[in-house]
Amino acid sequence: MEQKTNKRRVNRYWFILVLILSGVAASFFPPVRPWIQLAAEPLVKITDNFYITNTMVASWIAYVIVLLIAWSIRKQLKAGKTVLDGVGGFFAFILEALYGVTEGTAGKHVRKIFPWFAAIFMIVLVVNWMELIPGVDSIGQYRPDKLHYESSEAHGEEGDHAKDEGHVACDYREVGPFAFLVRGDADADCAHAIYPFVRVASTDLNFTLAIALISVVMTQVIGVQTLGKEYFVKFWNTGAFKKVLSKKGFGNPLDFIMGLIDIVVGILEIVAEISKIISFAFRLFGNIFAGAIILFVIGSLVPVFAQSPFYLLELFVGLIQAFVFGMLTMVFMSLATVSHAHGDEDHH
Amino acid sequence: MEAEAGKLIGAGLAMLGAIGAGLGIGILGSGAVQGIARNPDAAPIIQTNMILAVAFAEAIAIYCLVVSLLILFVG
Repeated sequence: MEQKTNKRRVNRYWFILVLILSGVAASFFPPVRPWIQLAAEPLVKITDNFYITNTMVASWIAYVIVLLIAWSIRKQLKAGKTVLDGVGGFFAFILEALYGVTEGTAGKHVRKIFPWFAAIFMIVLVVNWMELIPGVDSIGQYRPDKLHYESSEAHGEEGDHAKDEGHVACDYREVGPFAFLVRGDADADCAHAIYPFVRVASTDLNFTLAIALISVVMTQVIGVQTLGKEYFVKFWNTGAFKKVLSKKGFGNPLDFIMGLIDIVVGILEIVAEISKIISFAFRLFGNIFAGAIILFVIGSLVPVFAQSPFYLLELFVGLIQAFVFGMLTMVFMSLATVSHAHGDEDHH
Repeated sequence: MEAEAGKLIGAGLAMLGAIGAGLGIGILGSGAVQGIARNPDAAPIIQTNMILAVAFAEAIAIYCLVVSLLILFVG
């Protein structure tokens, strides 16, 4: 039996070499936990109240990437290919699978609903997976003076912020043109804040809230497009009252009670729509922000190799959250196309 | 008790709500696996619905996490 030679096998000793090198690098530059704050850090000030934040930069990069993928697919389709190659082909395959899922749920309204599902899925996927690129969230601007926004000047105490907040003592070390922030001695007084140039856009509640609002508002729009004014019967159902009033002399008292119940159900539906906005926004935000914090903290505790299982977790979580966001949007949109009129119970 | 200690204790206690989410997702998984065992041909549609329902259940745990992070990092 001849031996099969695997031509593309990576020699396992490269792996050990990388481990040793990263261990050596980590001992010379022990990492300090990056500055974590809930709000996105501002980079460029445009007016007094409006900043360009690092999450805006990340979302712009994500838009460009999605447009490039779309351009690649379109170029191949214009050339007449039926089987697409490359990155465009890969995403075309995924989108075809999603189209199948949408067809199963939405029925005949696929063409209206699928673009929203696919767009939200692609944008949120690219934005979530940008977290995994080295350099995002770690390379940034060193801002020891701006630990909080400018409102901290109102407190009047600038100098003691480092000790009050319990910052890890750190050391500012320069190697050639690059500067590193490393863990220092206990009495090194370093108020460190690194504002990353690119921060994952889903860790900004503005981004997730914007997409949640778009999703819920477009659900209502699609409901009105397919059902017309009858769509608002879901929220304001006076069909039972009309039945009571149409019969002379209050035919059936149960209809009156059903009318009251329908009004309450309508109000509950409005509350459900608002809670969908909040739930969409916080689900994506919470998942990705928690993942980013896990990567930060574990990366600063054990710098070598410990982040890798959590990297894998973040890969899955990013994919699943993007898929779930799009899929819930699609499900709510297809539910919105189903008629809710209750006035025809006698007709069945 | 200082505010800093209160923050840390509160952030830890806020995560107790994740118990409910863990239980819910476990029950969902059990139902999905039983459904697939009864009808292996329906596996894709069951899996899709399971992931959908898991997202709803996990959102509650994420709310707890957001409250905990808010306590720690904001205010």
